[in-house]
Amino acid sequence: MKRTAVLVLAVLFVAALCGAAAAADTLADAKKKGVFVCGVKDSTPGFGYIDEKSRDIVGYDVDFCQAIAKKMGVKLELKSVTSASRIPQLIAGNIDMIAATMTKTADRAKQIDFSVTYFFTGQKFITRKGEVKKLQDLAGKRIGTAKGSTSEQNVKKALPTSTVLSFDDYPQAFLALQQGKVAAVTTDESILANILAKAPDKTKYEIPNIQISDEPYGLGMRKGDTNLVAFVNKTVLEMEKRGEAKKIFDKWFGPKGMAYHMARTFKITDKKESWEK
Amino acid sequence: MFSYQFDWSVVTSGQYFEWLVSGLKITLELSVWSIIFSFLLGLIIAVMRMSNVRPILWFSHAYLEFFRNTPLLVQIFFWYFGSYQILPKAINDWLNSVNFEFAAAVIALTIYTSAFIAEDIRSGVRSIPKEQMEAARSSGFSYLRSMRYIILPQAVRLTIPPLINQFLNVTKNSSLAMTIGVAEITYQARQVESYTFKGFESFTAATLVYLGLSLVIAGLMTLYNRRVLSPMMGGK
Repeated sequence: MKRTAVLVLAVLFVAALCGAAAAADTLADAKKKGVFVCGVKDSTPGFGYIDEKSRDIVGYDVDFCQAIAKKMGVKLELKSVTSASRIPQLIAGNIDMIAATMTKTADRAKQIDFSVTYFFTGQKFITRKGEVKKLQDLAGKRIGTAKGSTSEQNVKKALPTSTVLSFDDYPQAFLALQQGKVAAVTTDESILANILAKAPDKTKYEIPNIQISDEPYGLGMRKGDTNLVAFVNKTVLEMEKRGEAKKIFDKWFGPKGMAYHMARTFKITDKKESWEK
Repeated sequence: MFSYQFDWSVVTSGQYFEWLVSGLKITLELSVWSIIFSFLLGLIIAVMRMSNVRPILWFSHAYLEFFRNTPLLVQIFFWYFGSYQILPKAINDWLNSVNFEFAAAVIALTIYTSAFIAEDIRSGVRSIPKEQMEAARSSGFSYLRSMRYIILPQAVRLTIPPLINQFLNVTKNSSLAMTIGVAEITYQARQVESYTFKGFESFTAATLVYLGLSLVIAGLMTLYNRRVLSPMMGGK
């Protein structure tokens, strides 16, 4: 008897979860509740990190969330996520959208929907100065990165003989580089650049011009959440047209931005990736 | 009703199965080394803790309180990242050339667990009537020899049930080694998840592995107790 009751409760609970996830019109829900919940990184300098003075999460990703929430006319709420937790968090309904340095891939697109590419970069390495000139210099070496990221998969493909050590996040991977435990840290250039910018002994390291992949970032939303996807795409493309997107880029990565500068080699367009329909 | 499509094939064959098997191997190695070392170290600390020599007593007391009362994760980071700051460069270079992640994890697990084991053994020893020690000493055994031949063989037997707990804990705690990049079973399960998005399947496989390992350890310890230790004690 008791067992049946527990079983019924369990089924109801699961059904409720599925129901919440299936009946998704996040845009309407957010407008009704007056709050839009964005999942961002909190330790990735430049994109989402905790500002030393204000103790708030700030960055390129945060500014895009802010602009989208403003356009909706609702309050923005930020939740911190990691590379490994962001998709499960979105699917479970804990967050409404992922803005967390996430590369658009065909595999991920089976689980979630992506916006247009709002940031474009490529995967590179940080190494000790002068040690690495070409990719093959890293063959057979130990290379650090973060768990659950595309960086991990790309480096295994590009350097099959190397040993990949995956840490929980990039600051630990960089600490391992500083202590000589790995020969390089690999991930998207934009993230590397900002790690380097904040490193205390930055003159000892460099980012050699070796790129092993293209990394188009997309904002992630629940599968089939078409209203929200359309709204976000429209908003982001408008931001590009009005020059607001470029302003946000310059704020974080431009000449007057943070310590490490990058050129904006991309424009936000509605061009699809090759694997997208 | 369920939007999730189960696909058990990802964890039962092919490349991802191999990852999980290699993870299982590392988990086993981590657990076995940590169990052996922490038991030996725990014995030593327990004996020190019962010594009459003040400095030894103080040292063992400090050791116990320190390592029992700090989180294992912090200890793993300490041995892996923190040790770099205090060791000379030559040793660091050597450590970086070998598989230091694994060693740091074993060191952390060993030291953390030995503190608990020492306390378990001590309570086993305390339950042996102190007349036995007195009788041993008056028969001419030294303190260490009385411990070795009279007290500890009985105490260890009494300690078996709590020891099983500690050994099970070591096995499960070894999953924390993933934070410093040791590719044990939880690490591999997460890896399979990030490649296939089949998190439910991969973590179920990992869960079954831990469950199986725990049952095997508990079974072996019980068997050892029944076959070897009980007859030795003249028990039933």
